[in-house]
Amino acid sequence: MSGVILEMKGIDMAFPGVQALDGVDFSLRAGEVHALLGENGAGKSTLIKCLTGVHRMDAGTIFLEGKKILPNSPQEAQHLGISTVYQEINLCPNLTVAENIFIGRQPMRRGQIDWKTINRRSQELMRLMGVDIDVTLPLTTFSIAVQQMASIARAVDINARVLILDEPTSSLDEHEVARLFEVMRDLKARGLGIVFITHFLNQVYQIADRITVLRNGRLVGEYMADEINKLELVTHMIGKDMNVIYDLKKAPQEEGAPVVLEASNLGIPGKVEEISLHVKKGELLGFAGLLGSGRTETAEMLFGVVKPSKGSVSMNGEKLVASSPLDSIRRKMAFCPEDRKRDGIVAELSVRENIGLAVQALRGFMHPMKPQEQQKLADRFIRLLSIQTPDAEKKVGELSGGNQQKVILARWMATQPDLLILDEPTRGIDVGAKAEIQRLMLEMCIGGMGIIFISSELDEIIRCANRIIVMRDLEKAAELDGEDCQQADILAIIANEETEEAMAE
Amino acid sequence: MPEIRSKPFRRLFKPNYLMVYATLGIFLLLYLFGAIMYGKIGFTSIRTFLLLFSDNAYIGISAVGMTMVLITGGIDLSVGAVASLTGMIIAYGTTVMGLHPLLCFAFALLVGVGLGLLMGACVQYLNVPPFITTLTGMFLARGVTSLISRESISIKHPMIDALAGIKFYLKWPNAAGEWVKIKPVASIDLNTIVFLLMIIIGAIILQKTRFGRNVYAIGGSVQSATLMGLPVARTKVLVYGFNGLCSVLAGIAYVLYVKSGWNLALSGAELDVISSCVIGGVMLSGGVGYMWGTLLGVLLKATIPAIITFNGTMNSWWAKIFTGVLLLLFIIIQRAVVASSSRTARKAETAS
Repeated sequence: MSGVILEMKGIDMAFPGVQALDGVDFSLRAGEVHALLGENGAGKSTLIKCLTGVHRMDAGTIFLEGKKILPNSPQEAQHLGISTVYQEINLCPNLTVAENIFIGRQPMRRGQIDWKTINRRSQELMRLMGVDIDVTLPLTTFSIAVQQMASIARAVDINARVLILDEPTSSLDEHEVARLFEVMRDLKARGLGIVFITHFLNQVYQIADRITVLRNGRLVGEYMADEINKLELVTHMIGKDMNVIYDLKKAPQEEGAPVVLEASNLGIPGKVEEISLHVKKGELLGFAGLLGSGRTETAEMLFGVVKPSKGSVSMNGEKLVASSPLDSIRRKMAFCPEDRKRDGIVAELSVRENIGLAVQALRGFMHPMKPQEQQKLADRFIRLLSIQTPDAEKKVGELSGGNQQKVILARWMATQPDLLILDEPTRGIDVGAKAEIQRLMLEMCIGGMGIIFISSELDEIIRCANRIIVMRDLEKAAELDGEDCQQADILAIIANEETEEAMAE
Repeated sequence: MPEIRSKPFRRLFKPNYLMVYATLGIFLLLYLFGAIMYGKIGFTSIRTFLLLFSDNAYIGISAVGMTMVLITGGIDLSVGAVASLTGMIIAYGTTVMGLHPLLCFAFALLVGVGLGLLMGACVQYLNVPPFITTLTGMFLARGVTSLISRESISIKHPMIDALAGIKFYLKWPNAAGEWVKIKPVASIDLNTIVFLLMIIIGAIILQKTRFGRNVYAIGGSVQSATLMGLPVARTKVLVYGFNGLCSVLAGIAYVLYVKSGWNLALSGAELDVISSCVIGGVMLSGGVGYMWGTLLGVLLKATIPAIITFNGTMNSWWAKIFTGVLLLLFIIIQRAVVASSSRTARKAETAS
């Protein structure tokens, strides 16, 4: 392996109230893919932002090919040969692919932009990446994958020696990821050093040569990818033994516990076929199934977000007539929607205000909560759910994903519901936070709440649910006992019909 | 990966061009309507056509700068007031103070460009929304204009008269082979020349220079433009400065057109300018627009009052009503184009 191209030593970086980086070392060699791993908030992004001049580090030194550098801005870093491709596409949607690759450093001819050369060279660059498209069409004509390739083409063409890929695969499908990896291998062979940040451990093993793990702003260690197994890696990342985290006990079920929610023959033609289900007090009902199998739609019908065209829902034996969220909230039902950024949190409001929202809605706007009352409520839940925030006044949008999810949980817990519907509450948050959300759910069940838990991750459903409903093709495919259910059973039901029939027999 | 290959004509039908085509199409339709209805009384004469330019040159000159501002995603409400201030500076300077017009031009340029740069800096560095910043600029310029004089000052200066008198008459050879003025007499005046020149300069800046492309990039996504290392701050400030320059030129053109300065002149002209740009296919949300579209937008908007004048029986307020209808139509077209292009984008994605 060739020599070290980039060396970061003793990097310190503090934000108000948080030591984001504490004496972190990092080194990158030419011609390697170096994975930078860690949970949310471990300091990966901060480290990269120090390197690319977005943040000014408090202490530490950076050497690029032996020379000390101190980039002040992304532009400066780019000039030095450090290019970054971010998770979100940072190109201009209104410009053509070719222009996006060359803007800011267009070749000029007789004082004018040389469009011909731009288009020809872009076509070549994209072809090198295995993408044969008309580069003179606007960027938005193409898929995210192609747009990502265009950002890489742009980054690499600026004579990059270090290429940073910040979660480049999160919005790509399998084939696109494979294509990206081919490009990465090709760039590696050309002697580039690539820093690869991702949450997908499988991909790390596919492509990375070395791995650096950060945790809570500190360097945990640097490992050769072929010398460390996944379990060790995860243990390093979360800093606890996996088994401790996963040592969760299902909520014990009482004989003859009363039914909290009952739905019968609920359905909307073309959306969800007739579905019947019930949830008992203190029970956790898992909803498994693929995305689009009707899980979310069922939840929305139960809560009254969409009006079912047939069937009925009753809470604690009383029939719900209005089919409106407010009515459902009054009957002590609560719903955390899937996309927390869009439907859940109000990012601009503080933690305190977000937690108070549902209680306020319940009371109506004629009876506003006093600030002290909100404060007490917020403080209680911040403590109870160990929400990591400097204080209750911080904007929710500035918290990490796991903590945002906890704020939403707190909002609904504050209304003291009898039934809580959670749609993918653990998506996009890190392993440690996931385990904590699961623990909270189970505690709420033990406290007597009924929970419907929707998740794409079968292992967490199996770990937590007392009973599991498997959805497939817009209908209930099976109902399983959660106690001795295997992942393979559920997969088989999701996969094909015959198995289900066989099981039913 | 989707493979989208270009068909030969596909590039001509980019959604961004569609808007310009729509403007062109509606302009031709309207002109055809005028030709059929009023062709006999001279609507189709070259004279009438050239009057569309010379009567609206000050709007058109200002629209060149406005187009750039709008493409960055901004807006400038001060253009009418700055042009009016320019007129007042020239009128007061030449007539009351007895200064040479060139000196007044230079001073007006200093004021206009300076105010533009200042507003650009406010938008960029103080993060004040362009609407508020330029609204402030508008009140400021209008106020200073009224401070100089609240009376209309007519301009009497040989140089202004000379400039306003520059006319190139269109001629053709008569039976005897001599070049004579065509009938009805048609001429191209200085304002028309400056207007067309500014459109050409604007088009070159937008299409052929890095500065111009940065203008588009900023309109597409400021965040991306910054992360791509483009000089966002400098570009934005300069765009407002350039627009200030255009406002002053528009003011000079207006002075040559009416030969007076008045503190209430051109009130509301900024809205005429903005609507001309929008009718020409410039998107208020930024990132899309062409100088040629703006040229067509100015012409289309000018054709409406022309037709109403030729009609002779209609109240001139009908021009406003038709302009409103037209503006609405173009905004709907823009929405449709945006919706359809995002639909194709989604299609491309699911296909991949």
